[in-house]
Amino acid sequence: MVAVTVPADGGWLGILRTATAGLAARLGFPGDKIEDLRIAVDEACAMLLVLTPTDGDLTCRFEIGAETLTAAVSAPLREGANLPDPSSFAWRVIRGLTADASAGQVNGVATIRLTAALHK
Amino acid sequence: MELSLATRVVAAHTVLEVGGEVDVYTAPKLRERIAELLDGNIKAVIVDLGKVDFMDSTGLGVLVGGWRKAKASGASFGVVCDKESLLKIFRITALDQILPLYPSVTAATAS
Repeated sequence: MVAVTVPADGGWLGILRTATAGLAARLGFPGDKIEDLRIAVDEACAMLLVLTPTDGDLTCRFEIGAETLTAAVSAPLREGANLPDPSSFAWRVIRGLTADASAGQVNGVATIRLTAALHK
Repeated sequence: MELSLATRVVAAHTVLEVGGEVDVYTAPKLRERIAELLDGNIKAVIVDLGKVDFMDSTGLGVLVGGWRKAKASGASFGVVCDKESLLKIFRITALDQILPLYPSVTAATAS
């Protein structure tokens, strides 16, 4: 497992995008799938950024499977904040670019899980 | 790489050349620039994404906002994009059916 934590600020998203692309490339994902996952992770992070306190952190945990790479992006939720509507542009992009995507919240921490499959 | 914005005039159209990365951090600058152009009474705006390396749905939202604002003020609004990785997110969100997309500035000014 590889984990990267950055401050919950839009200026740091580039770091998470670069980490995503680097890891996917290291695992042998083709260029188009690397780009898809890079965009999907960015979308998930951007979605959580507006829901988390400004002094919070954004954590991306990468789980490496035999033929999959899963990115789980987590952030604490501000009181009263809810994950966006599944029909939002961001969700549509995430669903269109990943093999599997889901979101949930436990104890005030929201997590969006995205899975890219090497051969799917 | 951050966002770069430059304008030039081609055949009576104002072309806004966008470069770098359009994400949640940089998109407000693009939104402001498009609004400035339309508020400045420019009647034909073309947003050229030719030098954009990365764009997410925040960028799409800005383009839709620009297109709506242009429509409301009677201006024309086009987007130039020929990069497959960007075209894919226009297709996924079905915005390729709504926004006037062109493969080149020449095609956009000719329309």
